This record gives sequence, C-alpha cells and structure tokens, in this order.
Amino acid sequence: MAVRPYWKGYLKLSLVTCPVQMMPATSESEKVRFHTLNRETHNRVVSHYVDAVTGKEVKEEDEVKGYQRGENDYIILEDEELENVALDSTRTIDIEVFSPRDSIEWIWLDTPYYLSPNDPVGEEAFSVIRDAMAAEDMVGISRLVISRRERAVMLEPRGKGIVLWTLRYGDEVRDEQAYFEGIEGTMSDPEMMPLIQQFIKKQTRHWDSTLVSDPVQGKLLEIIEAKRKKTKRPTKAKGAESKATPDNVISIMDALRKSVEAENRPGKR
Amino acid sequence: MVSARANWKGYVKFGEVACAVALYTAVSSAERIAFNTLNRATGNRVRREFVDSETGDPVEREDQVKGYEIENGDYVVLEPEEVAAAVPDSDKTLKIEAFVPCDEIDDVYFDKPYYLIPDKMGADAFRLLRDGMRQAKVAALARTVLFRRLRTVLIRPHGKGLIGTTLNFDYEVRSAKEAFDDIAQMEIDGEMLDLAKHIINSKKGAFDAKSFDDRYEAAVAELVKAKIEGKALPKKKAPPPAKKNDLLQALRQSAGMGASEKPKRTAAKTTSDRKPQPGRAASTKRAA
Repeated sequence: MAVRPYWKGYLKLSLVTCPVQMMPATSESEKVRFHTLNRETHNRVVSHYVDAVTGKEVKEEDEVKGYQRGENDYIILEDEELENVALDSTRTIDIEVFSPRDSIEWIWLDTPYYLSPNDPVGEEAFSVIRDAMAAEDMVGISRLVISRRERAVMLEPRGKGIVLWTLRYGDEVRDEQAYFEGIEGTMSDPEMMPLIQQFIKKQTRHWDSTLVSDPVQGKLLEIIEAKRKKTKRPTKAKGAESKATPDNVISIMDALRKSVEAENRPGKR
Repeated sequence: MVSARANWKGYVKFGEVACAVALYTAVSSAERIAFNTLNRATGNRVRREFVDSETGDPVEREDQVKGYEIENGDYVVLEPEEVAAAVPDSDKTLKIEAFVPCDEIDDVYFDKPYYLIPDKMGADAFRLLRDGMRQAKVAALARTVLFRRLRTVLIRPHGKGLIGTTLNFDYEVRSAKEAFDDIAQMEIDGEMLDLAKHIINSKKGAFDAKSFDDRYEAAVAELVKAKIEGKALPKKKAPPPAKKNDLLQALRQSAGMGASEKPKRTAAKTTSDRKPQPGRAASTKRAA
C-alpha cells in the first residue's frame, strides 16, 4: 500500500540500528466525508487567516509561530529555529527499557502507529529485535518526539511488524481512587457467581472486526442516496432497544436466571 | 466522592439485569507548549475566517451546511437534522451484546477510556458483572449513543470499578496485516536471537509515567529564553550515524557490554543531554 510514511528514522537497540518508518494505525480515509458548503450558493467554504487586529487576510508565508510571554507579548519562532530543537529522540527510537507486556495498563495507551523497516538493509536487525521481544513476551519502552512533544512510547511485536504506542503523560490519567473508592470490593452474593459465569460463557464470542462495525455510516449513505434520487427520505432510525427499566428488576438473581434461560432456548445461535 | 461531574449517565444492561451507572473521563490531554499563529508583518494574532470559495464573501456559521460530493463539484446538501437522523435515538443504555476473551481483544481499536462507576441503586449488579468478567477473563462490548455519536464501548474490570473504552470503527483502523505485508519473512539465526534476548533481559525495567519528562518542552523553553536574551540559538545536532555494521558483531558487542553498561537514561530516569557537545557541533559542519 502506498501510504506516505508519517515519520522516518532509526530503531536502536544498544549497538544495533536499523532504518524504520512509521504510519498512524488509524485513518479517516474510509469515513463518509463531508465538505462544508455555503447554503446560499452551494459553493465550498474555505478558511483562511486574517489579522485579528487589522482584519486583513494573512498570506501563508506570513504565518509564524508565536510563544506567548505575556498579554499581547509574543516571541516569534521561525520553523527553522524550531527544527534546531533536536533531541536524540527526534530521529532515533532507542529502546532503553524492556517490560513485561502486561505490566503496562491499557489506560496508558494513547495513539497507535505501525512501525516497519524502511530499507531492506535493516530488515534482519528489525526482525531480530521484534522476535526477541516476542520470545520474551516483552515490550520496549523508549522516547520519541511527535508533533512537537517528546512522548514515552511502547513497542510491541505484531505479526511481521511492530506496533508503536504513544503512552500518556503521568498527569494525564486521572487518579482512579477518587472514582472507585466508594465501590465495594467484594460481591454481595457469591452464590450468583456460577450463574453469571454461565451467562457470560453463553454470550462469549471470538474477537473480530464485525464487532466494531458502524451501522450509522451505512445509514448516512442511504440518506444521501435517497436525497440524490429525490425520493422520500428514510424515516428516523428507531432506538435499538426499549429503555432499560431497572425498577422492574426486583431480584438480580431472578433476572440472571431468566437471562440464562433465554440463552438456553432452542433456536438461539 | 468525586467532585467532577459525570460525562454521561445511563444504564449497563446484561441479559435482563440493568444497573444505573455514570461515565467519567479517565484521561485528559493537556496542551504542553502553547504556540499561537501570528502575522509576521504585524506581530498580531491571526484568526480563522470562513469564506465562499467562489465569491470570497464571509460565510457565517449558520449558513454552513454539509455537502457530500457525488461528482466533481456536485454535492448532495445535508442539513444538520438530516445527518442527525442517521444516529439512532439515545436509549441511555450500554446493552452488552457480547463478551470477548481479554487476550483476543485488538487494542489498536482503543479510543478514549472512561471510568465507569455504579449509581447507589445499581451497586449489586455492578459488582456481579465486574467480578463475573474478571473471573471469566473477558471484557464486554456494548453500543450506545454517547455525546450524540453512536459508539462501541469495551467494558472491562479495573480495580474496584470498570473502565469503558470507546472503540474506533473498523474502517477507521488500518489493517496491521496489510501494513506489514511488505516486510520480508526472515529466518532468524539462533545465536542472534539468543544475543538479542540476552540484551533485552539486561535492560529489564518498569515504565513509570509519573517520572517521565518532556525534554522537548524544556528545549523549546530554552530556545525561547535564548531568543529573549539575544543569545546564540542552539544548533541542530548531527543525525545519528547510519552504521552499516555487521549485525551479529553488533549484537555480540551489545550483549557483552550489556551487563557492565553504565546506567542509561530511561523513560523513568533522565539526565540532561542538551549540554554543549563540541564533537557533535563539528560533525554538523561536515554534514552541511
């Protein structure tokens, strides 16, 4: 696939270095895309910058970054000057630490990227690092400058490649204690455990991407198609399920039993 | 208990059991270095203005509509109500549609995590679901309208609570298999693999987010300071040498020095390496 790499640089383990490239694992390209139009003219709406004081249009070459020092007081930073802020981690992912995969909680995972070799010369070194991590069930921890921030990153082997995750900063994850402290740690009625296990087992399926399909996307395309043909529009989508009525649930045990029975009825899956 | 307001209130429903819950955003992404865009000519801030691409006239927010391009320059216009009609009515219910074994979940789909906690009334059912999923080593998948968008939510036990993570849709995630398709399948020599494993084990450690520092931010602050004081600005460092060394040799050397290697900067510990380095400055000249 001919996707332009988002980033190019080096993967480094001690004295072993190989050229790599990286691209975001997420993409907007398959989404139903809209353009903004002017309702009056149906022409595209475009945006440009105007000077906040004079109101005059600012040409792209006159746009420059400013670092705010005080009110209406900015230090102008040219792109070339910012490019000189080059840390080792701007071009090189130097794996400094390895940790067991399960020692890093999911909550720290921020954005995933796909990392792959950028030159046949480095494919063997890349493969050695990847396979050794996989064999030890370890992930690599390193640093990388992305979008003018230095991020902690985690490298995890995946198939023939490596998934690189940016990890959230320490102050970005809220303290769970504050939210969870009011919840009791133990179950009220251990007798229910076999029943819930039975229910879970019945409803468990293997992961596949149909679990994350989007019915709205198709619906949108239908609306567009209907409008295009100038036929009657489809009626508003109904709520998938009737409102939950917790008041009706007298006993969890009874409800659970009913749920398991419903799952057991012949004809179900 | 929690001072922050809930981001969403509703129900979790599994089978015939429902419990009242609230979602709280678990993460924030604070902007680090705030740059503003300025007009170089005047030094003033700039602001964005929306104009008609043909007439150049400004277009107010209420006159902007969505258009779906069907042919070159030909659009089907959709009013906000029409777009909203594609989203089902919110029933405020995270109805669990399936459980999935934890070790099968593809984390590349993860979007944003929320702490999921019970209302007073729903605590029993909540704990039942939490402990049941924990014992079965599964997470639950539910769909609901969150913040006016239909979202898939992965619900899993976390400590005494649950975490609900919104998932990206299938078409929003690139296939890892396709992305890695071009990588050659290599038979890795046993000695190389053993050496690499040895290096990995000599670099075992823990990730500590709390002590991670953004050195880029500090470097920009330094740049700003230098500029204010009229000092010479930092020079670009040389790119890392693209050594074409023998892989096995490099592994052997790395493995040998692994044990005696002096403690290095890690994600947890850092030492400043922005000190002037004459050697590097010299190589910059050569590179240029």
